[in-house]
This record gives sequence, structure tokens and C-alpha cells, in this order.
Amino acid sequence: MAFAADRGVRLAAPVALVLVAGCVVPLAVLFVYSFFKVDFVAIVHDPTVKNYVRVAASATYRGLIGRAILSGAIVAVISAVIAYPVAWAIAKRVYLLKSAYLTLLLIPLYTGDLVRIFAWRVVLGSEGVINSFLMWTGIVHEPIRALLFSPFATHVVLTYDYLPFMVMGLWLAFESLDDRLLEAARDLGAGEVTIFRRIVLPLTAPGLIAGAMMVFVLVVGDYLTPQLIGGSSGITVISAINDLFGTAFDWPLGSAIASSLLIILGLLVTLAALVVARSTWGRSVVSGE
Amino acid sequence: MAGSPGSRVSIARRLLWGHVGFVYAFMYLPVAVIALFSFNASKIVAFPLQGFTFDWYVKVLGDGRILGGLGITFLVAIPTAILATVLGAMAALALTRSTLKHPIAFAGLLFLPFLVPKVILAVAQLIVLSELGITKGITTVVLGQTLIILPFTTLIVASVLVRLDPRLEEAGADLGADSSQIFRRILFPLMKNGLTAAFFIAFVLSSSEYVVTSFISGRSQPLSILVASDFRFDLSPSLDALAVLMVVANLTIVAAGELIRYRARYNSARPAD
Repeated sequence: MAFAADRGVRLAAPVALVLVAGCVVPLAVLFVYSFFKVDFVAIVHDPTVKNYVRVAASATYRGLIGRAILSGAIVAVISAVIAYPVAWAIAKRVYLLKSAYLTLLLIPLYTGDLVRIFAWRVVLGSEGVINSFLMWTGIVHEPIRALLFSPFATHVVLTYDYLPFMVMGLWLAFESLDDRLLEAARDLGAGEVTIFRRIVLPLTAPGLIAGAMMVFVLVVGDYLTPQLIGGSSGITVISAINDLFGTAFDWPLGSAIASSLLIILGLLVTLAALVVARSTWGRSVVSGE
Repeated sequence: MAGSPGSRVSIARRLLWGHVGFVYAFMYLPVAVIALFSFNASKIVAFPLQGFTFDWYVKVLGDGRILGGLGITFLVAIPTAILATVLGAMAALALTRSTLKHPIAFAGLLFLPFLVPKVILAVAQLIVLSELGITKGITTVVLGQTLIILPFTTLIVASVLVRLDPRLEEAGADLGADSSQIFRRILFPLMKNGLTAAFFIAFVLSSSEYVVTSFISGRSQPLSILVASDFRFDLSPSLDALAVLMVVANLTIVAAGELIRYRARYNSARPAD
């Protein structure tokens, strides 16, 4: 290697410093704040676990955290099912235009959260594209109002928002899948279903887990989509944290909810990372082979 | 037998490409719809279409508030993109061109801002700013956005670096170049296009970022914040037009970046042939 170890430290240290100062320290301070309490308009710096007791005792906050995790899991599964054949097609059935296919998939990401949500409001609204089409064809006579401002709408748009991340994760896994393994299995008389179950699925599982974790975490942390698409169903644990830091002014309680959520997410991501790291695919990505 | 294996294969192939086509249509449907309504001669964003007009574009481009927001967007996005690209390049070099003691811990740290919910990161930064008595403004937005864009720029620069033939650097070292000469004379010229691509993508991500920006921007509000407050109020064709302009601008920037990156790939592939 052209760069010695000390060069690596000199390159990495400033980046690490920025990340620690801008991300790790604020999160640590947030965690510390979760042990404070609010007295009228001042924050009292007496350590207390009251906030965590409140989070654990409140059916509302428990419900919001549970619902966020359920939403994350639902969208992760739906996007996995949709993305799996797409990733396979791009990795194994596209040769010349592979980069173009991937870039085309990522372009909607660069339109910005708000533009995308705005567009979906137009598509799903009661005078929107889908309802106008259904009324024009005469399939329905009244616009289906549940298309927008419903959990259904929220999940459609969340799937839309994060599907590209799932395709990318799976695509990487399919790229490192050796086709000769499939040929060998076929030569030995394995059927397509057996090949999928015994070879393709296990070998792409790390990409599946990595993509699902990414989608899961991003959906749990999404703020705008449920709020602007979900209507009255749009109250999420994230919007509750947002309210406690804004109008409700209870930073310590908000910090306690945020910390609880981060700890749960951290545990789940660590678990997934361990599963990926133990697999051969994870090892080959880390070692760069 | 319901059919020969050949016809089964062709049905499977048609199903596969039908599915792929459906997914791409799904990804572009919303973008197409707002483009359509931005040219529709009616105040109401609904079918049926009323006729063709450029009025909404004229209205948006003559709106002083929007143009002011655009100015702040540039003031934020240019320094953010420079900072995120430089830091991303350093991180990518550290990960691909050196031996770190804890590469996985470093990569984990890099991707932390991507994985932590943005609202939580933003409120945590808000607490620190208020504890230290720092005024919210363009500087705080630049720093906040740089953190969340850093994972993307790192990946883009790293994707160029892993394709570069390490033998070029080894040859340089064998010929007596020290590491700063290797960087200046070999690595930097070869990764220049990757850096440009990272800059463009960072610029686009910065200009469309909303959540962190809204928490730490204070009174200097970039375009994304202005659009959000208008949008909460109502759906209007001038917002459609503005969205289309933003998408077109972003796509132009991304396309330019990608084009440069392909050229980088092509050029870096040649010496190895």
C-alpha cells in the first residue's frame, strides 16, 4: 500500500473528529438530557429516571414506538419482495446498460423529500390521478378518499421513498453471486425451486438483511411522509419527539423517548450487522475481494 | 405438460421485465404527474386538464421570496458540498488506501448520521447549540448538512478509488515518489472526476434537505423550507412549476456528475488494459 498506517490515521482523524463533535457528542448530550426534568420554563439539571418511567408507563408512547417498528418492518418486507426480482434482473440480465439502470433508479431520490411527497398528494388525492382515472372509467362513482391521508397512503409513499436502498443492497449481493454455483446445481439435477431455496436465497440473504435494515431504520426515522401523507394517522413517535422539542417544550421527556428509540434501533441494527458480518458475503465486502 | 420449457421460460422472462417496468414506472409516476400539472391552465391541481400554459413558471420566476430563498440555498449548498466532498475524500482514502486499526468502527461512525433518525439528530444538535449559546444560521446548517451528506460523498469517492489500479501507486513508490507526490501526481488526477461527481450530488442533497435544516436554520431560510411552508398551506400549480424547476436543475447536476464519473471509470479502466 502506498499509504502507511500513520497516513491513514491522519486522514481518518479529522473526519472522525467532525463526526464525534457533530453527531456523537450531541447524541450523548441528548442522552444526558433524558435524565433532567422541566420546571415551568426552565430545565432542572437534577438526575432522575422519571422520564423513562413515563415513557414505559404510557400506553401512548409505547404504542407509538411499537407502531413505528411495525411500519418499518412492513415497508422493509414489501420493498424486499418488490426489489428482489429487480435487483436480480439488473445484476444478471442487464449487461451494457447496468449503470444506467442503477442511476435511473436513484434519480427520484435526488428530487428531494418534499417534492416527492407533494407529487404523491397529487397522485392520491380525491381529485388526484388515480381517483380521476377510476371515476372516468366508471369503476367508482365517488372518489376513494382513503387513498390519501391514511396508513395505506403512508406505507405506499414510504415504500416509494426507500425502495432504491433495498434494490442497491440486493444488487450488491447478486453481483457477488457466482453463476457457476447455479450451473453446478443444475448439472447435479436440482430443480429451480431447490436452487433458489438452497443457493440463491442463502447467498443473497446478507444483502437482503442489509437492505431491510436500511429501509427499516429510515422508515422508523421518517418524519415528513406520515405527517404530510398520513393525515390523522400521521402521528408517529418521531412527530411526538418533534412536538416535545417544539410547542410542548419538554426536552427531557423528548430526549428520553428519542434515547429509548435509538437504543432499540441500535440493538436491532447491531444484531443484523452481526448476522451479515458472519456470512461470507459480509467478509468479502469488508476485505474488498 | 402445460407447455414446453421454452415457453415457460419466455413467460417468466416477460413477467420479470413487466415487473421491472412496473417498478420504474412507479418511481417516475409522481415526477411525471407534477410536470403535467405545471403546464395545466387551471388553478386547481386536479383532472380533467384545462389547457396548456407557461403562466405558473412565469409566476414562480418572478416571485422575490422564492428567489431570495434560492440565494440562501446556494449560500448553504456550495460550502456544504465542498466540505462534504473534502471530508468524504479523506474518509474514502483512509478506508481504501491505508490500513486503519478499526476500519469497521470508522465506517460505522461515518454511517451513523445516515442511520440516526434525522429529527433525533437535529434535536440533539439543537440542545448542544442552545447549551453553547450558538446562534442558528447558515454556518450551523452547513455543518449539520455536511454530517448527513458525508456518507454519500464517501461512497461516491470510494467507488472511484476501489476501481483504481493500486499498481499505479506502487509503480510511483518504486520510482521513488513519496506519499504526498503519489497523491498529487497519481491519485488526485485520477480521482478528480469522482470528486466533482461527489460535489454535484452533495449540492443536490443539500439543496433538497429539509428536516435538519428546518431545526437549525434560524431566520435564514433556504428554498426547501419556504416550499414546505407553502405546501402545508395548499397544493398550487406554481408549486408544481417550482418543483419541476428544482427537479430539472437537480437532474442536470446529477447527470453532469454521473457523466463525469463514467468518464472517470473509463479513464481509470484504460491503463489496466
